Amino acid sequence: MKTISIDPITRLEGHGKIEIFLNDQGNVENAYFQVPELRGFEVFCLGRPVEELPRIVPRICGV
Amino acid sequence: MRAGRKTVMGKLKFAIYWGAACGGCDVAVVDTHEKLLDIAAAADILFWPVAMDFKYHDVEEMADKNIDVCLFSGAVRNSENEHIAKLLRAKSKVMVAFGACAQLGGIPGLANEKRRQDILDFVYHGSPSTVSQKGIYPQEITSVPEGKLKLPKFYDAVMALDQAVEVDYYVPGCPPEPARILEVINAIVTGNLPPKGAVVGALDKALCDSCPRKREEKRVKAFYRPHEILFDPERCFLEQGLICLGPATRGGCSDPPRCIRSNMPCRGCYGPPPDITDQGAKMLSAVGSIIDSQDPEEIEKIIDGIADPLGTFYRFGLPASALRKKRFS
Repeated sequence: MKTISIDPITRLEGHGKIEIFLNDQGNVENAYFQVPELRGFEVFCLGRPVEELPRIVPRICGV
Repeated sequence: MRAGRKTVMGKLKFAIYWGAACGGCDVAVVDTHEKLLDIAAAADILFWPVAMDFKYHDVEEMADKNIDVCLFSGAVRNSENEHIAKLLRAKSKVMVAFGACAQLGGIPGLANEKRRQDILDFVYHGSPSTVSQKGIYPQEITSVPEGKLKLPKFYDAVMALDQAVEVDYYVPGCPPEPARILEVINAIVTGNLPPKGAVVGALDKALCDSCPRKREEKRVKAFYRPHEILFDPERCFLEQGLICLGPATRGGCSDPPRCIRSNMPCRGCYGPPPDITDQGAKMLSAVGSIIDSQDPEEIEKIIDGIADPLGTFYRFGLPASALRKKRFS
């Protein structure tokens, strides 16, 4: 099965890619959007002083 | 010829990339406003995912050293970050660690205090806002009816850029200040870069040197969180018992420093001052020198008043520190 990879997806904040699978007729059989990134703010913010979070979580997305 | 000098052959070639990042460094480049046009006049940008539609294969197809200067922001968090860092290193004459994450590991580097599996468990299963009835975790290879899907490997530890590839220059800041970015780009265009390995776009002294607050060389009997005291906005934070990373941070972000101007103590995003390798250790020594006690028990009590010393002293630099990825729990 032929595939078309769009890697990376551009002009947006963050990392993403799209895999498109084509069938024998050249039509789209299926397409998958994937996010290949994780930093783990959900975990490394736990236990930090609450007054510090406004200076940490803006770095989730700076765009 | 010095690396980066503009040649008669034409414009410089730039690449701008992000690893584990928030995109704030890319926005800081855009925040040079109309000067961005001067950058575009001096350099062709061959790769910049946030702003332009070039793909990884466009970079792969370039000859080695085709790019004059690569500004790499973001930490190295997974195998994709590392792969692209190595790819861009091979294709670039000059590799710049651009911003705190690339220079030191940055805020994503706080994850080095946690175990990889604990991060995955909470994010994909345990967190109250996650619905994952089947307990599905992302896999590096997933078989689907049409073929296989691949995701990068999520590393055990976050790395600064120079822990993955050779770095020529460091531009500190979270993010770097646009005025400093212009100075750095001007230095690149005119070929006036300092020796390899230098920190550029910052001062060669500590942040305290450009702090307008009054210092009285007073020692402290206690450390406070901001809600615990009414503090004087004209006086040094540290001398009032509020943790400020000024003594352990390189100056140059702005004058006077923007956080200080906003009545917020410094958190160290410009990294350690010259000749200091471990920012947190430097801060620890600064804290030690202002404690007003000789009694070990009392000193311990005073130090216990510092909320989250690890996450504060190493806010932007845990991966580049001597601790790197210690088991903390």
